[in-house]
Amino acid sequence: MLARNSIRELRHRPLRTLLTVAGVAVSTAMLADMLMLGGGIQQSFGDLLESRGYELRVSPSGTIPFDTEATIPGFARLRDSIAGVAGVERVAPVLAMSVSVEVEDGGGDGSRDSRRTLALGLDPGNRSLYGLVDGDAPGMGEAVPDSRLAGELGVRLGGRLRLATASGFGTWGRTASVRVAGTGDFVFATARDMPVAVPLGDLQALSELEDQVSFAMIRVRAGYDPEVVRDAIAVLASRVEVVTLAGISEKLDERLSYFRQLAVILGSVSLFVAALLIGTITAVSVSERLGVIAAVRAIGVARRRIVGDLTAESVVLCVVGGGIGIGLAVVVAGYLESILADFPGLPVAVRFFVLRPESLATAYGLVIASGAVAGLVPALRATGLEVTTLLHREEP
Amino acid sequence: MSGEAGGRGDDGIIVVARDVTRDYRQGRTVVRALRGADVTVAKGDFLAVTGPSGSGKSTLLHLLGGVDLPTSGSVHFLGRNLAAMSVEARAALRLRQVGLVFQRFHLLPMLTAIENVELPLAAMRVSRRERRERAAAVLERVGLADRLRHRPGELSGGQCQRVAIARALANDPAVVLADEPTGELDRTTSRRVLALFQELNTAGTALVVATHDLELAAGARRRIEVVDGRTRP
Repeated sequence: MLARNSIRELRHRPLRTLLTVAGVAVSTAMLADMLMLGGGIQQSFGDLLESRGYELRVSPSGTIPFDTEATIPGFARLRDSIAGVAGVERVAPVLAMSVSVEVEDGGGDGSRDSRRTLALGLDPGNRSLYGLVDGDAPGMGEAVPDSRLAGELGVRLGGRLRLATASGFGTWGRTASVRVAGTGDFVFATARDMPVAVPLGDLQALSELEDQVSFAMIRVRAGYDPEVVRDAIAVLASRVEVVTLAGISEKLDERLSYFRQLAVILGSVSLFVAALLIGTITAVSVSERLGVIAAVRAIGVARRRIVGDLTAESVVLCVVGGGIGIGLAVVVAGYLESILADFPGLPVAVRFFVLRPESLATAYGLVIASGAVAGLVPALRATGLEVTTLLHREEP
Repeated sequence: MSGEAGGRGDDGIIVVARDVTRDYRQGRTVVRALRGADVTVAKGDFLAVTGPSGSGKSTLLHLLGGVDLPTSGSVHFLGRNLAAMSVEARAALRLRQVGLVFQRFHLLPMLTAIENVELPLAAMRVSRRERRERAAAVLERVGLADRLRHRPGELSGGQCQRVAIARALANDPAVVLADEPTGELDRTTSRRVLALFQELNTAGTALVVATHDLELAAGARRRIEVVDGRTRP
C-alpha cells in the first residue's frame, strides 16, 4: 500500500521524477560505458589473438609481437627444434619490417604516390595474419597488400609494387619489385598501418635479415596443454620469450592499465552521483511525508515494512532510469567507438567498447543497489524518529 | 504479573493506566507532560479526555495506545504490561487492537479512500479480496459508500476524517483512540463526527477521544479532565 502510494507520488510529480530518472540514466550510461571501456580492449585483443588459432608466441626477450623491430637470429635451427617438441603442430614465423611501398609504374602523370607501412614476411600459404579479399596468396616475387592500401595506391591484381626498406632517417635502402597476387584483410591493420604480405624469404633478403624473424606463432595439437608445451619450448633457446595468449593478454593488460584506472575512477564517480541524486530525492520525499510516516507507524505498521516500501520508490527510479541508461550507454559507446577508430597503434579490429552483457548487467545492478542503499538511509532515519515527537510536531 | 494490575480483557477492562508520568527532554530541560494520571477504559466505554492545550491529553492517548511508554507508572492493555513488550510487539498489538484517529487525518494522499482503509489490513496480511470487502463495508458504515475511489484531495475535511475513522475501525479494534478528531472541522461536520462516534459506541466500540470540543465531550458517556499533567474525574 505504501509502495503503491510512493509510485503514485512519482507520477504525481512528473518533472521531479523525470529529472531524477534523467540523472540516473546519464550516470548509468557513463558507468556502463566505463565498464565496457575498462575491459573492452583487453577482451577485444584477446578475442583477436584467439581467432587466429595459434596458442603460443615466440618473440625476442622482453617484447611482444609487433612491439619492436627486434628479431630472433638463427631461426631455422630453432624452428626445427620447436617443431620437434611434443605437442607442436605447426610453426608459423613472421618477419615484420617497416617499408615504403609505391606503385612501380606510377600514376598516369608519372607521379609516384608512396606509403610507409608494415611488410609481413610469412611462409607461403600462411594466412594466419590476413584473409584474402581477392586473388591468391603470394608466391616468390609476389605480394598481397591490404585491400585499403591497394585502393589508396590504385593498384590492381597483376600490377607491380616497389618495396623499399628504411636504411636511415629519411632515406630508403634496398628495393624489390613485386607483383600483386591478391589483396587482403589484415587482422592487426591499424588506421595508419595497412600491411603488405610477402614471402618470408623475400622480406629477409630485402631487409638483409637472413634467417631472422620477428616472432613465431605456434599451434598446439589438440589435447596438449599450451602451458606445458610453452615450458618445453622455453628451454630450447635463450634470449627468446615463449608466451601463451593469456601471457600476452597480461602484458597488454599492464600497458593498458591507465584505461582501466580511468574507467574505475569515472565509473565510481558516476555511481556516487547516482546514489547522491537518489539519496537527495528520497530524503526530500520522505521529509515531506513525515506526518504520514509517523501516523502509519502509530497505527502499527512494522518499521521494516515502511522502510521497504519507501526504499521501493528509490528502486523504481533506478530501475527506470537505469534501464534507459543502458540503452543510452550502447548509443554513446557506438559514437565514442567511431571517434576512437583512428586511435594510432591499435588494430582497427580492436574495439575500445566491447558490448558485453555482463558489463551492462553489472552497471544496471550497481545503480539499482546503490539507489536502494541511498534510499534506505533517509527511510531508516525517518522511521527511526520518535513517533510521538513526530506526531507532536505534525499535530497542532 | 500483568493480570493483577490490568485484567486480562475477559473482565471487560481494555486498558488501565496507573499513576503514569511522562517526561520529555527538550535540550537540557526536562518537561513533565504527565504527572500521575489514572485511567481505566472498559468495553463499551466512550471516554472524553478534555483539558487545555499542553495539558497532556495527546500524551495520555499515546500511552493508552502503546504508541509511547510512561516514564513511571504502568499501562496494561488487555492485561499485558506495555512496558514489558518490544517495539515490534507493541506495533503488532496496535495494529490488531487499537484504532487511531488523528486531528490531521494523515491519510496517504495518493491512495483512494478504500485503499487507505485497507492499509492496516494489508499490514496484517489479510487477503486482497477480504480486505477490499471489509474496507468497503466499514466505509459504508461511516457513510462513504459512494466515495470509495476518491482520493483525500477530492474529499472534504469531514469526509477525510470519516475515512480516517473507517481506517481506525477496519481491524475491528478493542478501542478507538481519537486525538482532537474535530480540531480541523467546522461545527456542522464536527456534529456529524460526534453522531458517528455515538453510533459506533452504541454498536459496542470503545472510544477514547481527546478534545477541546465541549460539545463532543458532552456527547461522551464519561469525561475526565487533564490539568497540569494530572487526571481529574
